Amino acid sequence: MVAIYDGSFEAFLTLVHDVYYKKITLEVIKKEGAEIALFDELYEVRVDEQKSEAVLEALQKKFTKENFERILHIFMCDTRDFEMDLLCYIVTGFKSQKELQNINTPCIFKLHAMQKEFFHVYHKMSGFLRFEELVDETLYAKLEVKYNVLSLLGKHFSKRLNNQNYIIHDIKRELAFVHTKEFKGVQKVADFDLPTHSASEEKFQKLWKTFFKSVAIKSRENKKLQRQTVPFLYRTYMSEFNS
Amino acid sequence: MKKDIYAKMQILSDSAKYDVSCSSSGSDSNYKTGELGATHNSGICHTFTADGRCVSLLKVLLTNFCIYDCAYCINRVSNDIERAAFSPRELADITINFYKRNYIEGLFISSGIIESEDHTMELILRTLRILRFEHKFNGYIHVKLIPGSDALLIEEVVKLASRVSSNIELPSDASLKLLAPNKTKEKVLQPLKLARDISLERSNKPIGMSTQLIVGASPESDRDILKLSSVLYDKALLKRVYYSAYIPVNDDKNLPSIINKPPLLREHRLYQADWLLRFYGFEYNEIVTEHKPNLDEELDPKTFWALNNLHLFPIEINKASKEELIRIPGIGVRGAFKIIKARRFKRLKFEDLVALKISIKRAKYFILCDGVFQKEIPLYEDHIKKALITPQNKKSIQPNLFDVSGITGEI
Repeated sequence: MVAIYDGSFEAFLTLVHDVYYKKITLEVIKKEGAEIALFDELYEVRVDEQKSEAVLEALQKKFTKENFERILHIFMCDTRDFEMDLLCYIVTGFKSQKELQNINTPCIFKLHAMQKEFFHVYHKMSGFLRFEELVDETLYAKLEVKYNVLSLLGKHFSKRLNNQNYIIHDIKRELAFVHTKEFKGVQKVADFDLPTHSASEEKFQKLWKTFFKSVAIKSRENKKLQRQTVPFLYRTYMSEFNS
Repeated sequence: MKKDIYAKMQILSDSAKYDVSCSSSGSDSNYKTGELGATHNSGICHTFTADGRCVSLLKVLLTNFCIYDCAYCINRVSNDIERAAFSPRELADITINFYKRNYIEGLFISSGIIESEDHTMELILRTLRILRFEHKFNGYIHVKLIPGSDALLIEEVVKLASRVSSNIELPSDASLKLLAPNKTKEKVLQPLKLARDISLERSNKPIGMSTQLIVGASPESDRDILKLSSVLYDKALLKRVYYSAYIPVNDDKNLPSIINKPPLLREHRLYQADWLLRFYGFEYNEIVTEHKPNLDEELDPKTFWALNNLHLFPIEINKASKEELIRIPGIGVRGAFKIIKARRFKRLKFEDLVALKISIKRAKYFILCDGVFQKEIPLYEDHIKKALITPQNKKSIQPNLFDVSGITGEI
């Protein structure tokens, strides 16, 4: 059977509940909108709060903190088809937490690797994100990234920009992490007019570009290495690459 | 005469770029509520320049005016180049504004010697005070100590900085005398020793310190260089030694004159060897011996060591300790951890290593998997070396996202 769910965590947990209590066997789990073959036998998941909460509670009780967090991080890898592996992981984990350390099992190894990649993307983004100063001194950053690292990034910056107001705007996912005196956390963003920059914004961007250009050593030039370390994917909002 | 801020930035970052130290790692997170800035233990790269080097810190000179005349240095007094200077306030202001925009982890401040050693150190100190006290900035600050400046000034810098360094530049006193007549090894190491003692008085964890050695400007062997690094690590004086391939910026009768390309491969091999010293439990005289005092350019130092010590191989990966595993060429710390984790559940075979995405390209010649040894190449130095350095038939390999780890090397 092919399960279709709306991509939300609640729907996925509901599905886990159904797998256990309705004994359905699945070949594949797809997000709504994905292509479906004509003769597939479909199982459409409807969010059921009672079921999803029961599963969530069981996960928190049964899984170690590390293994539970892995599930959440995998769920943030929303551009990947992780569902069947995650289901296998959860089923294995309910049997034995110790067995989840066995990286010889393909679904466990894949999730470990995916989580590592998730952290990798997050780490890169924590360096490559760029804030711009607005007239009211709020710092504003645009974000376009493969996985949903917004909430981790928001927390990362709450340490270093603790006394600043800032907004990190995930354009594609239409979410924003807002950090002000009144509110700290992720919000939905429907549409957004770009406010104006502060008077000194241009000056510091220009200084940054000047610096970036002049620290490179000509006789050691290695553009191939640069493409590996800052893939084009990340360069959209990095002013030093956009002249 | 007065230069605008962009020209200053251009001149003073250009003058600082030959200093290779860039890391911002090794400081525990230290943020305070209501203040600005925090350090990050693994360090963060904010961009990479056209030469592929990481930009983590705003690396600039406070000034490139200098009263010294070191042969290898672009800023020596006898060079006719454009000179400029930031005021401490100017530099602090740029640092804060760069930091807020997430361009950098902090500041790397160094300077030519203007007027006197003490005067230069005071200017640096003034910059630090503005950052730490006025802006309440807790981010990373790396200060290049000025050799020969007053102990009291060094003491205050050590209190405010995240890391300090002083460049030895040349691996022996003889080379220093020839190329940097105003410096001696003692004079260069003096501020580092002082900084260590001061920071040890205050806590049991000394401030992180580093130095830089120029490779290829003077005749020392790799053994001389690694011996020096190893001594400095053992004395707990330094956290890192940086190696910088010599790039000719001046003509001088005492310097190698015709170098077409900086010895980048040698620099790379030295870094690999340095990693073996710091993270893999090697001694320098295992890596470079008296009759082979230089590293092999064709092979990485671990493979080079393994080929010279074939009596220790092959190693059975199902039994070896972590210390033995990380000595196998091609298997790093991460690979060793994966093996240890996986072998709790089953005896590992070659195909299990492949499934765990552990590269066995080099390792396969040195290991037994559940008693099995690869059959293609016999365990002789010449055979293995030939197999390792002969270019493979070019296969187009899809780059794997997991392999391009930006934090490789950070443990």
